[in-house]
Amino acid sequence: MDVLIQTLVAGVLIGGIYCLIGIGMSLIMGVMGIINLAHGQLMMVAMYITFVLSSYMDIDPYLSLIVAMPALFLLGCFLQKYLLNPLMKIDSILPENQVLMTVGIGMVIAEICRFIFTSDYKTVQTSYGGEAFFIGNISFNVPMCIAFIFAVVITLVLFWFLAKTDIGRSIRATAQDKEAATLMGVNSTRITIITFGIGSALVASAGSLLIPIFYLFPDIGGPFTLKAFVICILGGLGSTVGAIFGGLTLGIAESLGATYIGMGYKEMVGFVIFIIALVFLPGGLVGIKRLIKS
Amino acid sequence: MRALKTLMVFLFSVTLCLTFGVSSSMAADSVKVGIVLPLTGAQAKFGEVEKLSFDLALEEINAAGGINGKKLELLIEDDTGRPEVGRSVVEKLITKDKVVMLGGGYSSSVTYAVAGVCQQQEIPFLVNTGSADKITTSGWDWIYRLNPPASHYADAVESLLVSTIKPESVAILYENSLFGTSGATAFEETCNKLGIKVLLKEGYEHGGIDYKPVLTQIKRLNPDIIYMVSYIMDASLLMKQSREMKLTPKMFIGGAAGFTLPEFVENAGKASDNVISATLWHQILPFPGAMDYYKKFLSKYDRDTEYHGAEAYAACYVIADALKRAKSFSNTDIKKALSETDMMTVFGPVKFGTWGKMINQNKADTYVVQWIDGELELIWPEKASTKKFQYPVDWLKVWGY
Amino acid sequence: MKKNLTLTILVIVCLIFPLVVRSDYYQHLAIIALIWVIIGSSWNLLAGYTGQVSFGHAMFFGVGAYTAGIIATKLGISPWWGMMFGGIAAMLVGLFVGWVCFRLRGPYFALATLAGGEIFRLIATNWESLTDGMVGILIIQSFRSKLPYYYIVLLLAFACVYAIYRIMKSKWGYYFVSIREDQDASESLGINTVLYKNVSLLVSSFFTGMAGAFYMNYMAFIDPEVVFSLHYISIMAILVGIVGGVGTIMGPAVGAIIMVGVQETFRSSFFGLAPSWISQGHAMAFGLLVVFVIMFLANGVVGDWSKIKRYVFRIKPSSVS
Repeated sequence: MDVLIQTLVAGVLIGGIYCLIGIGMSLIMGVMGIINLAHGQLMMVAMYITFVLSSYMDIDPYLSLIVAMPALFLLGCFLQKYLLNPLMKIDSILPENQVLMTVGIGMVIAEICRFIFTSDYKTVQTSYGGEAFFIGNISFNVPMCIAFIFAVVITLVLFWFLAKTDIGRSIRATAQDKEAATLMGVNSTRITIITFGIGSALVASAGSLLIPIFYLFPDIGGPFTLKAFVICILGGLGSTVGAIFGGLTLGIAESLGATYIGMGYKEMVGFVIFIIALVFLPGGLVGIKRLIKS
Repeated sequence: MRALKTLMVFLFSVTLCLTFGVSSSMAADSVKVGIVLPLTGAQAKFGEVEKLSFDLALEEINAAGGINGKKLELLIEDDTGRPEVGRSVVEKLITKDKVVMLGGGYSSSVTYAVAGVCQQQEIPFLVNTGSADKITTSGWDWIYRLNPPASHYADAVESLLVSTIKPESVAILYENSLFGTSGATAFEETCNKLGIKVLLKEGYEHGGIDYKPVLTQIKRLNPDIIYMVSYIMDASLLMKQSREMKLTPKMFIGGAAGFTLPEFVENAGKASDNVISATLWHQILPFPGAMDYYKKFLSKYDRDTEYHGAEAYAACYVIADALKRAKSFSNTDIKKALSETDMMTVFGPVKFGTWGKMINQNKADTYVVQWIDGELELIWPEKASTKKFQYPVDWLKVWGY
Repeated sequence: MKKNLTLTILVIVCLIFPLVVRSDYYQHLAIIALIWVIIGSSWNLLAGYTGQVSFGHAMFFGVGAYTAGIIATKLGISPWWGMMFGGIAAMLVGLFVGWVCFRLRGPYFALATLAGGEIFRLIATNWESLTDGMVGILIIQSFRSKLPYYYIVLLLAFACVYAIYRIMKSKWGYYFVSIREDQDASESLGINTVLYKNVSLLVSSFFTGMAGAFYMNYMAFIDPEVVFSLHYISIMAILVGIVGGVGTIMGPAVGAIIMVGVQETFRSSFFGLAPSWISQGHAMAFGLLVVFVIMFLANGVVGDWSKIKRYVFRIKPSSVS
């Protein structure tokens, strides 16, 4: 029984971070229809920023969120404005050009970081890094719990932003129907830029929260981009609420898979869920809700 | 069609260029040896340490007169971690640069590719890190290996288990790479031989964030010892998370690699204390020059070195020694000289022989080290030890609970 | 007439290449480039012509490679049989992938194939009794010289490109392009889109599988990370197609030569002429190349050749004969 509870706890805690990674991508996918294959690399940039702030200025990784998030917001806006938006005007055979462009962008970003920081593994040591508290026999890792709380807070702020502010509503409108939104006076170009920026900022927060628990190297992005997809598809594209369910589901499923099937198969759990969701749940978990309602 | 025409013209000019080729300068009074290492890609960190070690050894060798007066030249090339690139590298080194022999060989998959070519072209290749057993069990007589194969990394642990720890059960956790899998399988066989029950043997994909699920299972099974074959970062996370879970077997044993590197203690902190591991080399070993090498490297490059670096440094000296003794620089003479190698290096004594199914394998000893107060101390075999083996261990106390 | 002449010259150059350029090193690079011609062209058939962008071509490559390897090690017969069986095994995988993934459109299909490639890699890693996991499969090379290998892969490349050429000239070709342009419209015109998508996939996976089996025979060693690699096989296939030109016959071939050439040029520090730190830059070069090509040469070197002529060679359209 303890094994099961510990597994679930581990799954939920990591699920919190996964949510942040997933929500960012879900927004981008929902509004622009772009699959951002550079998502993991953006997270990596934020982690390097956190690392630099921590090593050279002794700034706590959680505080560095204040720097990393806006920095990645600006980077995201820049990428969208100069590299991705222009693609929409180009006439080419394959509509997937935007996706492939993100592949190229991801590679360039990773190589720039490798050039600056080398391939060495970097870590951020904090005093509470390896600490855990116990409830009964169940161990709770402190940094992960803090990360989870931050994830909840950031998600709530995002929801407020999307629901209550003008820009937020414009984003949701563009995600629902770009043409109608434009007709209603929304500057969709500007919105796409802002959305990519916000998506980048969100994944940046995930990175800063992750680095005390994990470690950093230039190739860290890839696997997380893949996880982001699984979460988005699982949750339902463009749905931020769905991404939350997706993140938690992935975290728990990976954990259960690791315990009961075997750690070697942990990564496969994600992919299998991915394919099942793609094929059988086209609307994602949120789609199920709609199905039940109807 | 225009595209075809262009393609044809392009191919033509490329062919012309390549036929007459840009050949590298050939200094008549230097001996060229090709070194294949991963300088980019995921293994770049280790490739870099080895390159720097080769550079260090090269300087010293040439300062001391080189190869009987001739300068030794090392052509260190990047295999990027991919076997087909490794193959390009060795083809280039052999046919274009006309090296007399090869060295290096970090990842086993690349080493296979390079060794295959060397065997075919009959050029000697001294492997110093690639640990797959098959490198020396495939009957490739032009391939020599300095380092022990992965399955023998933990030989020293065996005697320690029998004499001191005497466990009855074990849980084996390993990275499901070639290195991890062979190490784990070899240890499982050792345990079966010694009558230790293997309660769990599980592979994981490296780069994992959370090992709590499997550690919880292990905690429930309560083995006497936990044996882990991991690279650096996984090793740190495993120990950190074991500490977080208050998982307390009689002893944690690492199967070399991750558990002996300086990054392990840097990242695992308190959780690294009193953990033991098999190791191939440590600067405190009583080999002439071992500590000197360590100190020289540290002062010259301002970073730590570890067993990969020592392998490279020693390999350079073995190469130089063989070249000095070889009657000529023909492949057969160098091969003969390598076979007759019998010298001491910072990595230990080097002599290539037939050992079980292996040929041209150096029988390197392995040792057991323990992290004591943040320093890696040699604890086994006892006669070579620098500190006494701390055992039994009150883990909760060591971990600060 | 002119077209046939250039084609003939091209074929002759390819045939005499290893006899003229005797260096093992360049022959090796040529063989690797030819392998990519096959993989790139196969990918292009499915993605460039039929519009189904696969991010998981490593699946077919790896299955082909492992079929050859398993045949050799477990059944003891020559791995060259794997060329045929590898192609067939890859086709079977293709059928399964088609069944699961073709109900998905565009980017979803891409992601599903990406996941597929990773799933196969993980299966190959964990199903140790069949594949020996990460220990990999090591066989003995059949030939000492590279010439037989070169001609075999050249033949395969010719066959692949020619087959695609003939297919695209036939009715199938029209169906593929029509599916790419608008799948629903095609369906309403009476084109059995499910059938033709699968046909395209079968041909694509067959040749890629054969390329994989060839790789096993030539390199003599494979392991899951090498042949099922997302980055080095699947994404490389896409880059080869994009840089060369999607939706063109010779595009992937040109792309293969460019990509292999760029990689080796950088890795060897421009063949020894540039400072050594530049060898670290090949991955960066790829990334920049992709960004550049997608921005300015969306149809690849071959597809946008007229554009290149205009800007690089300053040849105005009117002066082109």
